[in-house]
Amino acid sequence: MNQRIDAGQARLNLTWNGQNGDLPDPVPYDASDAQLRAMALEALRNGDIPGIHIDRGARLDDFVVDRFGPTATMPWHRIFVRPKTPFGGAP
Amino acid sequence: MLETAVVIDVDGQVLHWHAPPGATATALPDARGLWEVLWIHRSRLGGVAHVHPGGAPVPSAVDLTTFAACEAGLGRRLVWWIATATDLVAFVHAGPGRLDYHPRPHVVKDVAAWLPELRDRSLRGG
Repeated sequence: MNQRIDAGQARLNLTWNGQNGDLPDPVPYDASDAQLRAMALEALRNGDIPGIHIDRGARLDDFVVDRFGPTATMPWHRIFVRPKTPFGGAP
Repeated sequence: MLETAVVIDVDGQVLHWHAPPGATATALPDARGLWEVLWIHRSRLGGVAHVHPGGAPVPSAVDLTTFAACEAGLGRRLVWWIATATDLVAFVHAGPGRLDYHPRPHVVKDVAAWLPELRDRSLRGG
């Protein structure tokens, strides 16, 4: 894993199929949600996320992006790609 | 009245009541907190119930895509109950499509101890 995270970059974490892992390389913090999902999906389909088994048929439809800034204990930006959880609307 | 939800464990016990800011009579917004509850309790999850105040116990398009996304993230299937003032229907993935969820035949334990409180919380606004 590339441990260096420069300003303007973030560590991206994905949860998929009961597993969770970080992309080995940092991503641009200002990438769009769609771009971030695409990066996560490519890594997932290629088996490039430590902790998550390769899944060539994976889809991240209806996954959303959460962004967090640096903290005292984790002084870098963090991005999480996870399932959405809204309910409701007309059938 | 507000849409309200509850997370249930495999034994039918309540794990978490979900009434986030921004809930309306017809929708619950996306909430990272709910996902965190599902993830933390993933080994014991039974499913999630939510209320359709004044509506039918039929999943909306938003409901179906949430069901599918959460199960894809968790790597397991859940039961998704939808409650109204008079009905409770449990939906499970039936396939073959990603969004093909069908009502599960009624089982005795679906006479849920949590149902009256879920309806009450919906009436009270969470």
